[in-house]
Amino acid sequence: MLTGDLVRPRLRQQRNELRIDWLDPTNRHWQQTAAELIGLFGEQLNQPQESWQRAIESYEAGRTDYNVIRGLAKVLGDEATFQPLTTPVDPVELRARLFRRGPAYASRDLLHSATRENVLREVAVEYNINPGQLEHILYADRTAAHLLINPGPSWTPDSLIARYNLELARAALYWADQMTVHISDGFKDFWKYVKLFKLMFEGTVLGPKKGLPGITFQGYNVVLDGPISPFVSATTRYGRQLAAFLPALFLGNRWRMWATVRVPHFRKRLTYYLDDTVDLVSHFKASGEFDSRMEANFAADFHDKFGDERGQWQLTREDEVILLGDTVMIPDFGVTHKKDGRRAMIEIVGFWHPEYLTRKIAKARAANRSDLILLVYEGVNLGRERLQDMPAQVLYFKNKPVLKEVMAVVERVAV
Amino acid sequence: MTLIDPVPSHTPPLPNTPTLSFQGGTLVLYAVDQSEAVPPLFRWVKARWRCEAYHYGNLADWLRQRGVRDTIPRWQPLNLALQDGREPHDYQLEALRAWQQAGHLGSIVLPTGAGKTFVAIHAISRVNRSTLVVAPTIDLLHQWYARLANAFNTEVGVYYGGEKDVKPLTVTTYHSAGDLMANAGNLFKLIIYDEVHHLPAPSWGETALMSPAPFRLGLTATYPDQELVNRSRGQWQLDQLIGPIVYEKRLEELVGKQLADYRTERINVELTAEERRNYDADHAIYSRFVRERDLYRFGPRWWAELMRLGSLDPAARAAVLAHQRLSRLLSNAANKLDALDRLLREHAHEHILIFTESNDLVYHLSHRHLIPALTCETKAAERKAVLERFQAGEYGVLVTSRVLNEGIDVPEAKVAIVLGGSAGAREYIQRLGRVLRKVDNRSAVLYEIIVGDTVDTGRAARRRPKAATASLSAQEQP
Repeated sequence: MLTGDLVRPRLRQQRNELRIDWLDPTNRHWQQTAAELIGLFGEQLNQPQESWQRAIESYEAGRTDYNVIRGLAKVLGDEATFQPLTTPVDPVELRARLFRRGPAYASRDLLHSATRENVLREVAVEYNINPGQLEHILYADRTAAHLLINPGPSWTPDSLIARYNLELARAALYWADQMTVHISDGFKDFWKYVKLFKLMFEGTVLGPKKGLPGITFQGYNVVLDGPISPFVSATTRYGRQLAAFLPALFLGNRWRMWATVRVPHFRKRLTYYLDDTVDLVSHFKASGEFDSRMEANFAADFHDKFGDERGQWQLTREDEVILLGDTVMIPDFGVTHKKDGRRAMIEIVGFWHPEYLTRKIAKARAANRSDLILLVYEGVNLGRERLQDMPAQVLYFKNKPVLKEVMAVVERVAV
Repeated sequence: MTLIDPVPSHTPPLPNTPTLSFQGGTLVLYAVDQSEAVPPLFRWVKARWRCEAYHYGNLADWLRQRGVRDTIPRWQPLNLALQDGREPHDYQLEALRAWQQAGHLGSIVLPTGAGKTFVAIHAISRVNRSTLVVAPTIDLLHQWYARLANAFNTEVGVYYGGEKDVKPLTVTTYHSAGDLMANAGNLFKLIIYDEVHHLPAPSWGETALMSPAPFRLGLTATYPDQELVNRSRGQWQLDQLIGPIVYEKRLEELVGKQLADYRTERINVELTAEERRNYDADHAIYSRFVRERDLYRFGPRWWAELMRLGSLDPAARAAVLAHQRLSRLLSNAANKLDALDRLLREHAHEHILIFTESNDLVYHLSHRHLIPALTCETKAAERKAVLERFQAGEYGVLVTSRVLNEGIDVPEAKVAIVLGGSAGAREYIQRLGRVLRKVDNRSAVLYEIIVGDTVDTGRAARRRPKAATASLSAQEQP
């Protein structure tokens, strides 16, 4: 991620809003700059990091847009791998041994009979390597000496500029104390990354929760912050986590985001707003449609038997979130009646690790929903008594769920 | 199903029996209903009763009465024996007693040099449970690391940007303390804030809020004016976070430590002909710009203004770059390095400390003379080893970029050599007082090597407590 000093020059205040001065990808000057930097970086393979720093510095020359150059260079460096040199002698140990004989000088005098060259030669003999090598090893463990061993993705000027803009969007959140999000899809990935970056959330349902598919379903209002946030006034402690999280939003198709930010040099707190019209592409990987074969088979089975136009029910994937305070449950499927909009949710309980199963059951219980249907594999390692007195419907199956039975329950419990 | 569970994996998910858990600097009650009467410290947030971790010490009674399973403390006995046989002074013993009587909560205020670290070491030894020390800078972190490792002859954890290794006895910085608290705050029963007057700052005070440690010790020579703190927005109250002042002694009340007897010598060197040509050319570019744009009308903000213009105006950028080249040239001037060479030879077999302005020069000198270097990049273990070997005489010379800031103990040295460096006058006198010790009745000496007839001359003058000589020429950088 970019450092604050590289980002601040591209942030603007417009009344109460924070604006980002995006790098225009169609601008020829930026295209050329990006292309030249990609070229320069390519030449750095197997060179130490300090050589890359020197290359950037000499490329900047007298240019006033050095902030952008350094930002683009930072993106290139961050996605690449620099690695310490493997040395025949541990540099720390070498330094200890060598410096005991210091200080050394180029020439000898009355008090110093050995020159620097003598000292190096002696120690080189002790290690059985040549003195020139010794000089290289001396500080080979400094990050400045780490070698570029993998330059990362194969960049194009377009992809580099796009990624730079993404990093600007993220970095504006370094000074955020809170983020509010409206999301209408991509729930699974959204909550996966909330958890990954150790954020806390408070979710509420936006608009009517149910309805005819694609018509009135609005999604969720989610406020993101950290554990200590409710107890202090506007802490920016979680700004970096929010910044790291941001690309998860771009995995969805319908979203809006507001953050309050206190950027140094701007007098007041500003609102930072983004929505799905912004031209940014996430570099996070979206998860696949199905988590297991069983789920995929169930969907295919449904499609075969009820999928045609005459079918009364429509099956949708993970389209509803059951909010459970500080956690959520996202059932595998929603089933919606095409005419009257009645809905039920389906969760397949297949082969799971016992601990995972325990959590899943606890959540299904906490959900306290009679329109939730658990399809439980008979061979699952779970005593039947643990599923008794559940508000949810429990339906066992042997090899695969029997759709006819499932739909009968759906008809009965959908609301 | 996609399972989302923000509860850390070491706590069982959604316990059925009332349980108190640590989560990112807060305490969370599981399986306790919203309708239940809980102590007023708790607030119903995100579907659970929660409070800041620092209330932990006040909850013991209620937790017991209510039968709540308490999963907070993960601290352990240290079983450390104090290796440092020095007897504490009477005032140090008084301070420790006062802190213990106050329930192991509060700050001890002692003047610089009165042995606050030693007091802390005894406090750790008496409590003998997992302890976290929070220091303002990485240099101080390294110093604590070395002092604790020696005092207890044990492994000490360090947690900051460069190294993250948590042990029952760990040192961190104010900057990294928040992360550490969020992840492992409940590992420590005692938390010690060095230079505790920094703690009222908004994001730093939060770190004390996020710790459940029931024992807290603040150390400082200058306790902040609470009136002043109250008036500035967002500042924390030390009383709330650490406890009150439990002991205070002023310098006058203690036997004064005298400044060492030292003399300073200034060595003027000339630029080589080629350096002089380059210097004059760059100085002309830079000073012409500053003069033409009349940057001094911006007062003390003129340098910031020059930097701002540098991202808009090629001429300004050229001036900034000229100044950068000029600084590099001065700090690496050939005759400076030759003069250093001569001084090192002259004082062969004496303890010599070299100070430079840049890391690059530190590593250059380390290479050139095969002498140990200390910079912010040096890892804790190597730093400790280097300082110890220097003290023991195994290393005669040590080169460093910046170590002698607030509160840093530096090994005794007979000779200090300053190459460049733009410290203020106050820092300068503190440095001298700390570095130089009179040895065998011969006074210590501080050399300044500066380049004559350049901005260097002015910088050195500013480093002196009272600039007796050179008047500051208008073109100098602050």
